[in-house]
Amino acid sequence: MLSAQERAQVAQVWDLIAGHEAPFGAELLLRLFTVYPSTKTYFKHLGDRPDEVQLLSHGQRVLEAVGVAVRHMDNLRAALSPLADLHAHVLRVDPTNFPLLIQCFQVVLASHLQGEFTVEMQVVWDKFLTGLAVVLTEKYR
Amino acid sequence: MVHLTGEEKSAVTALWGKVNVEEVGGEALGRLLVVYPWTQRFFESFGDLSTADAVMKNPNVKKHGQKVLASFSEGLKHLDDLKGTFAALSELHCDKLHVDPENFRLLGNVLVVVLARHGKEFTPELQSAYQKVVAGVATALAHKYH
Repeated sequence: MLSAQERAQVAQVWDLIAGHEAPFGAELLLRLFTVYPSTKTYFKHLGDRPDEVQLLSHGQRVLEAVGVAVRHMDNLRAALSPLADLHAHVLRVDPTNFPLLIQCFQVVLASHLQGEFTVEMQVVWDKFLTGLAVVLTEKYR
Repeated sequence: MVHLTGEEKSAVTALWGKVNVEEVGGEALGRLLVVYPWTQRFFESFGDLSTADAVMKNPNVKKHGQKVLASFSEGLKHLDDLKGTFAALSELHCDKLHVDPENFRLLGNVLVVVLARHGKEFTPELQSAYQKVVAGVATALAHKYH
């Protein structure tokens, strides 16, 4: 699905995030909850206004999973199988929410990389994250 | 109609004041055509769109992006009546251009990502306000479809 060059570009951007999974993830979730408040329905345990500690903790978990995906781009289904099971049988997040998260991810990347957020980075990460979402929702039925 | 608080309206206007409308238009349209290449179906007469670089440097893309954003800019002055403001354009996009309204949502999202390159000042609250605006414009442009 991703060419060798695209995989290299995904990895290149990931290098800028690696080590900063918690703050990146926290900002991602904060944007998601602020811009698309209905997404909070999947995070009842975080309350109506999740605090920084909760956002950092859960944000780190989400970004670490993205990191797993980056390291297994040629074998996403196997690498993410447990997470796919979780989303299908426990979390059951409606698939329409993944594009909302992806939009917020792009905004986080753009606001951190600014002038360096090239169109090539944007298209490759959109393709990669969309593929990730497909794998996570594949076992839904 | 878009419901923004007074604070949101000020923040939206303040950022827009710093935006190079000509440049951002071309940037947003170019990124739309690269990130979602199927959108190129409406621009077959634009010349070379074969690579990301070709798209971003294409003078027709820049010119058209500018036109689109000027229209968007006008919309920002009429947030209380977007449907009225974009009524004629809505009819044009349906009857003559035959554009699926999903494309307006895609462009709106790309525009938000382009604006985010302003950095930390593009706070979650500002993103939220702009996402409401672009959603409102997309809805207004789809309003006259039949």
